[in-house]
Amino acid sequence: MDEFQEILQDFLVESFELVEKLDEDLVELEATPEDLELLNGIFRVAHTVKGASSFLNFDVLTHLTHHMEDVLNKARHGDLIITPDIMDVILESIDLMKALLNIIRDTSADAGIDVSACVARLDKVSGGTGEVEAPATAAPEPEPVEEAPVVEEASAEDEIDYDNMDPDELEAEIERLLNERQNEDKAKREAKIAAGESVPEAPPAPDEEPEAKAEPTPAAPTPPPVKASQVKKENSAKAAAPAPRAPATVEQTIRVDVKRLDHLMNLIGELVLAKNRLIKINDDVEERYEGEEFLEELNQVVSIVSLVTTDLQIAVMKTRMLPVGKVFNKFPRMIRDLTRELNKKIELEISGEDTELDKSIVEEIGDPLVHIIRNSCDHGIETPEDRLAAGKEEGGTIALKAYNEGNQIVIQIDDDGKGLDADMLKNKAFEKGLISEKEADTMSDKEAFGLIMRPGFSTAAAVTNVSGRGVGMDVVKTNIEKVNGIIDIESEKGVGSSMRLKIPLTLAIIQALLVGVQEEHYAIPLASVLETVRISKDEIYTVEGRSVMRLRDEVLSLVHIGDIFEVERILDASEHAYVVVLGLGTSKLGLIVDTLVGQEEIVIKSLGEYLKGIEGIAGATIRGDGGVTLICDVVALMDMAKGVKSTIMDNDDDGQSTNEKTKASDYTVMIVDDSKTDRMIMRKALEPIGVTLVEASDGQEALNILKSGDHNFDAMLIDIEMPRMDGYSLASEIKKYNRYKNLPLIAVTSRTGKSDRMRGVESGMVEYITKPYSADYLSSVVQRNVNFKSEFL
Amino acid sequence: MSDKLKQIINKQGEQQKVDTLDQSDDIVQLVGFVIGEEEYAVPILAIQEIIKPFTWTRCPQVPPYVLGVFNLRGSVIPLIDLRVKFGLQAKKHNDETRFFVLKQGDEVAGFVIDRLTAAIRIKKQNIGPAPDTINGDDTMIDGVGKQEDRIITILKVDKLLERDF
Repeated sequence: MDEFQEILQDFLVESFELVEKLDEDLVELEATPEDLELLNGIFRVAHTVKGASSFLNFDVLTHLTHHMEDVLNKARHGDLIITPDIMDVILESIDLMKALLNIIRDTSADAGIDVSACVARLDKVSGGTGEVEAPATAAPEPEPVEEAPVVEEASAEDEIDYDNMDPDELEAEIERLLNERQNEDKAKREAKIAAGESVPEAPPAPDEEPEAKAEPTPAAPTPPPVKASQVKKENSAKAAAPAPRAPATVEQTIRVDVKRLDHLMNLIGELVLAKNRLIKINDDVEERYEGEEFLEELNQVVSIVSLVTTDLQIAVMKTRMLPVGKVFNKFPRMIRDLTRELNKKIELEISGEDTELDKSIVEEIGDPLVHIIRNSCDHGIETPEDRLAAGKEEGGTIALKAYNEGNQIVIQIDDDGKGLDADMLKNKAFEKGLISEKEADTMSDKEAFGLIMRPGFSTAAAVTNVSGRGVGMDVVKTNIEKVNGIIDIESEKGVGSSMRLKIPLTLAIIQALLVGVQEEHYAIPLASVLETVRISKDEIYTVEGRSVMRLRDEVLSLVHIGDIFEVERILDASEHAYVVVLGLGTSKLGLIVDTLVGQEEIVIKSLGEYLKGIEGIAGATIRGDGGVTLICDVVALMDMAKGVKSTIMDNDDDGQSTNEKTKASDYTVMIVDDSKTDRMIMRKALEPIGVTLVEASDGQEALNILKSGDHNFDAMLIDIEMPRMDGYSLASEIKKYNRYKNLPLIAVTSRTGKSDRMRGVESGMVEYITKPYSADYLSSVVQRNVNFKSEFL
Repeated sequence: MSDKLKQIINKQGEQQKVDTLDQSDDIVQLVGFVIGEEEYAVPILAIQEIIKPFTWTRCPQVPPYVLGVFNLRGSVIPLIDLRVKFGLQAKKHNDETRFFVLKQGDEVAGFVIDRLTAAIRIKKQNIGPAPDTINGDDTMIDGVGKQEDRIITILKVDKLLERDF
């Protein structure tokens, strides 16, 4: 039944929201038991859930919440003082309630959890302390409530409400009711919340308890099965009646399926790619048609498109953002439980809970934070006695903060506990065989702190219920790395420690540093890049077969990206290289690359099933030119670097294939000129000697022919002025390749200036022929350069 | 002119008749292609598209027959060289080389083939099982189609798309 499903969905969403808040409120309540406002709020939640669940025939849940309501109601009327013990029972019942809600979400039914024990305890609480009522008051309730057909219960409540209202209030309610009717849709949505609020609105009702007992009586005669539509109507009617006395300015919101947002995000991703491409084309056009008037217009359009795309991307990202408070909310309760369990006094200070993060990330960081906070409670904060002995306040403090920092958000967990002891950590790690003695000696304090993230590491002397099983912190590390986050630990012994999680705002689109190695490009997530340095070859030292360099006062181990990704060395190695310093948590690695291409916003695409899980590759992105660039997985990269043998200093042996020439046509010469006439003239000049001729009409084409390897060229005749790629650029491109280092390049041009000649030499040309020239001259220059054997003539 | 048109229309009509006749039998439609010396075929419905070769990006840490990945209208798709996969020497791409994009479920991959032959309609009864010697669960051969003048090896699409490293 669709309508039922719809109601059920609404119910679940609402209940989970309520329950989340409940935890927080309850802990606060324990601190200020006399806060009536708070109590009323909590009571309302229990009541709302009860009302709604009875509508939906969730008997177990109704049963449980009903008893919770009893206890809370007594507390509300001052019949019961909330002591920590009572609070434990209440919290337990709320846990059960959560579990039931989860089961309802998964199975649409609330069977499978036994609440009787908890209900009994609740009964005991409400019966035992409330001296006015005999224990019997609570006892008869369970059975009738379980059977009670739902609507009636609610309507009974409504009646009670009206009965309890004084005339003025009733008048106002009727007025209200009329208004609400006109806007029934809205009423439906607020139905359940409103229903909850009706009760505290009633004037102090000393006879509420008996009335609760009376409920089942009118209920009995009516037939139990209730159609969903009826439920809904009843529901809204009920809502209309007691509608909020304080019509708080409701934020205008729409619930949207996350899938739709994901789809939107994907589309934006495509748009960002198209934008990148547009920018690139614009640059090309600008270069080609420098000074043309339409360029300005084009520029404007491109910049508007790019601006709007960026804004759009941010806007869509924002729709997916949730306040991190969603996660933080559960911690006050957790700390409370832990303090009781560990017999410590710990206070939790939360700030920045409004900071927003992508939904998927918010979901991902919950567990890590639980582990970190548990850890701080268990290992960080000392027992009250130890604290007093150390001259600190008896109660410890854990501060949980969230704030924005550039493109990241930072979640910081500080405690004023005993701090981390680097030496102790090292010893422990050594004992457990996680590090060697040598590693321990050379390890900095910061690296030592990082040890707590290793799997199988636990510093707690005894394994407690809370932590110390050796799982946990490594889970933190994996989870945070999964969302491309970084963990930073700082600590001072005896003063406290501070852990900072730096997390990117979103997962789908990231800032990346594009690097080049030989002819390939790779993207490195910028979040993991600490800095880039330009070094010369002789700054690289080799220690035990591994390359290292000095970076200020640190020794940085180096690895060539080409060694990790098995890149073929075809380009001539230059004297200089760039080192990208990667930082991940506390470890660092220098990645040597050939070129730095730049920083770009990239959209992460999966490599698909077939190529999933390739070591070192996190995904791929499509660049402005339509090509695919692979994205490095920095975590894996650091791991792989350990196993890679350095080949940085290896000098490549030139595989110059000097084929023996046996006839004139074995010599191959390429003619590169954009003018067909010029190519013809050169052809005419060279054909008589019988060499093989290949023609190309511009630099790009020439380079492609050369790279395809179909011919072994002995010389190239190159025009300077050409579209796409001019002669100078062609020459410098060719000279980058080892194989063509000794290939004679002959410029054939009408440019006669001295500076032109100089540029020619700089770009690697060996001869410079100016147009016009005689056929004989050209022929002789070519013969000289290819070492043409005279016997072939 | 109109006579000619009529003729053509008639002819097409006849052809369609033949087609419908064919469909009443158990007909399998395949697309044939050549790798090395052999002719292979895959079911026509498994083919998403056939495109001319263009640039791809090499991917590290994969077997040699995986050339890398390429961009097919915004999706990143792996490219597999069937020559190398079948144990032949890699060959330079030429005018006849094509990328075959096969799709089954969510799995998509591009395959480099030497040359396309034709769309083939073949009766089910003319398809024999793979030779006993290479029969088994892990063979890539679905069956052998017999035509008048030649035999065609029909490949299993799911095996082609299966990652085997």
